[in-house]
Amino acid sequence: MNQARSPADEERQPRLAEAPLEAVSARLAPCLALHKAGSWLLVVMAVALMPLGESEWLAWRIWLVAGVAGLGALGVGVAWCEARRRGYALREHDIVQRRGLLVQRFQALPLVRLQHIETRSNPLERCFGLVRLACFTAGGRSADVVIEGLPAARAEALKQQLLHRLQSTADGTSA
Amino acid sequence: MSESLTQWQRLSPWAMVSLLLTQAAEQSRQQLPLLLGAGAGLTLLDAVGWRELVLGVGVALLVAVLLAWRYYRRFRFRLEDDVLVIHQGLFEHREFKLAARHVQQIATRQPLHMRPFGVVEWQVIPVAGDASRITLPGIRQTTADALSERLAPAMSASGTSVAPHFRLTTRGLLLHGLSSRSVLVAAAMLSPLMRPVERWLHDIAPSQALPDWLPTAPLLLAALGMLVVVMALALLSIVAAVWRFAGYRLVDQGGRQIQTSGLLQRRRQSLALERLQVVEWVETGLGRLLGCGYLVCHQFGGSADEGRRFLVPGVTGGEQRRLLAVLWPGLRWPPAWTPVSHYYRRALLLRGGLLSGLLLAGSGAVLGPALTTWQWWLLTGALVVLVVVGAWRRWRCQGWAHCGGYLWVRHGLFGIRTHVFALDKGISVDVRQSWLQRRRGLATLHLHLAHGRVALPFIEHGTALALADELLAASVPRSVVEVPG
Repeated sequence: MNQARSPADEERQPRLAEAPLEAVSARLAPCLALHKAGSWLLVVMAVALMPLGESEWLAWRIWLVAGVAGLGALGVGVAWCEARRRGYALREHDIVQRRGLLVQRFQALPLVRLQHIETRSNPLERCFGLVRLACFTAGGRSADVVIEGLPAARAEALKQQLLHRLQSTADGTSA
Repeated sequence: MSESLTQWQRLSPWAMVSLLLTQAAEQSRQQLPLLLGAGAGLTLLDAVGWRELVLGVGVALLVAVLLAWRYYRRFRFRLEDDVLVIHQGLFEHREFKLAARHVQQIATRQPLHMRPFGVVEWQVIPVAGDASRITLPGIRQTTADALSERLAPAMSASGTSVAPHFRLTTRGLLLHGLSSRSVLVAAAMLSPLMRPVERWLHDIAPSQALPDWLPTAPLLLAALGMLVVVMALALLSIVAAVWRFAGYRLVDQGGRQIQTSGLLQRRRQSLALERLQVVEWVETGLGRLLGCGYLVCHQFGGSADEGRRFLVPGVTGGEQRRLLAVLWPGLRWPPAWTPVSHYYRRALLLRGGLLSGLLLAGSGAVLGPALTTWQWWLLTGALVVLVVVGAWRRWRCQGWAHCGGYLWVRHGLFGIRTHVFALDKGISVDVRQSWLQRRRGLATLHLHLAHGRVALPFIEHGTALALADELLAASVPRSVVEVPG
């Protein structure tokens, strides 16, 4: 269906703050927490095994390890809570994502700027059946919007929807 | 000429000579410090001997000539309708195709040694950005003109004025040289010569004792030293500006801006206005004092090297307002700038204070009793003044304006950079709120543009969302679109 857009139509576009967001998969929280825990475990091990010789820091090592582990636990907790808050929405002309806990972000990418789309997943994400959707624009060296924590089927459906919109926009602008 | 472009064309044979000369000069420049520094060249000469060295250079030259010949034989190009097709590759065959509708910018460069043969280096930058730049390293001027005409027809549109609407004056050139950052480029170019000059001076100086060369009064010595350094930097900077921008003229040709410049190496760059994404008005700290700045026109995937971008240098006397209106018809300079919240200044003070505290703590741990109490107080005082002045200046320079469908964002410390772009040129938008900003109802708006990210920190949360909504609405295609369902 071809429609001519008028300024009045554009006025009717829902505001960014009022966009109804769809939550990402609940499996993202444990996935991110596990990933964070793994990263912090490496740091804790590095501190625990650091060669200190006979220096005075040796007596403080246990407290240093405990402090780093505590920070790690805090980081894991924050990552868990942050993942539960994430949401996204595919609107008529843009894709919107909300993320962040301490620093909250509202990201929006107009579909007319979209150049290509990728789905990615690392081994940990595959264990949880999750996929990331990366959206690229012209001239960008990295993805402009990355939506993490999508179930594989939902990611594929979203990708197809985006490709369809992309094709429609290209046809519309070239007409 | 256009008809012959449908047949396979080769590079000019002079292009190979030019490539060899350019590569030799580049290699010499890169290896100069290695060969001349610390007597490495003499050691090498002693080790291998003159005859072997000449033989080695001869073999290297022969290999270079053979490779250049193979490169020349493999390189060919032609036009298939409005698609430029290029075949090249020394050992691996590669084919490039570029359609005229994907051309973003065309540039030609003519070094001094190419002038007698009428050969130019022709470059085209597609919409994918500078990283995908395609270069024909040496073709005849007439072929270059014909290619430009076919791939960018607006360049030859009839009825357009060819008189330049901006010409760089001598005063503008000198002021640009003094105020721009070309001094750094000049210093980098001349840096390999420093060591040989130092050795030469060491050899010819009648007395090697430094005190014999210097005046005795400490104040006079300090003033003289400062004067010499400042004059040398100013001179280098002016030389670099003259080298790059002598004879600069900007012509409006049917929706394209075409600039030509260069003292010995002539450059010609064209910019399609429909591809223009952001214009940046740059005033360095010294430039603000001298009343001189320059414009940078950004497109998608622009080069990180500012010298390769489309620049309008030496803009003085408020002429940037007229030039901006030429680049974007209907654009008006904003009557007033909206400042950001004063909480931004507080946040900067907090960050600066934390950094200074860490610096002082680190210095205390390292230096310890090396400094006396009053010296520590002096250092602390200097840091406090730096942080306060820096935070105040940064907050003061930050501002924005929204008028006539264009958004203006400016920032800086002593110099100021002003980004101007139409709202529909935004790529994506990002509204961020830290816990501090949430308490005050503020947010930072990040605008992702063709040349990078521009931030508007500490503005009202509602304003940030409204601007984001406007940018998204402006990006909606106004033509007939297919609405699914």
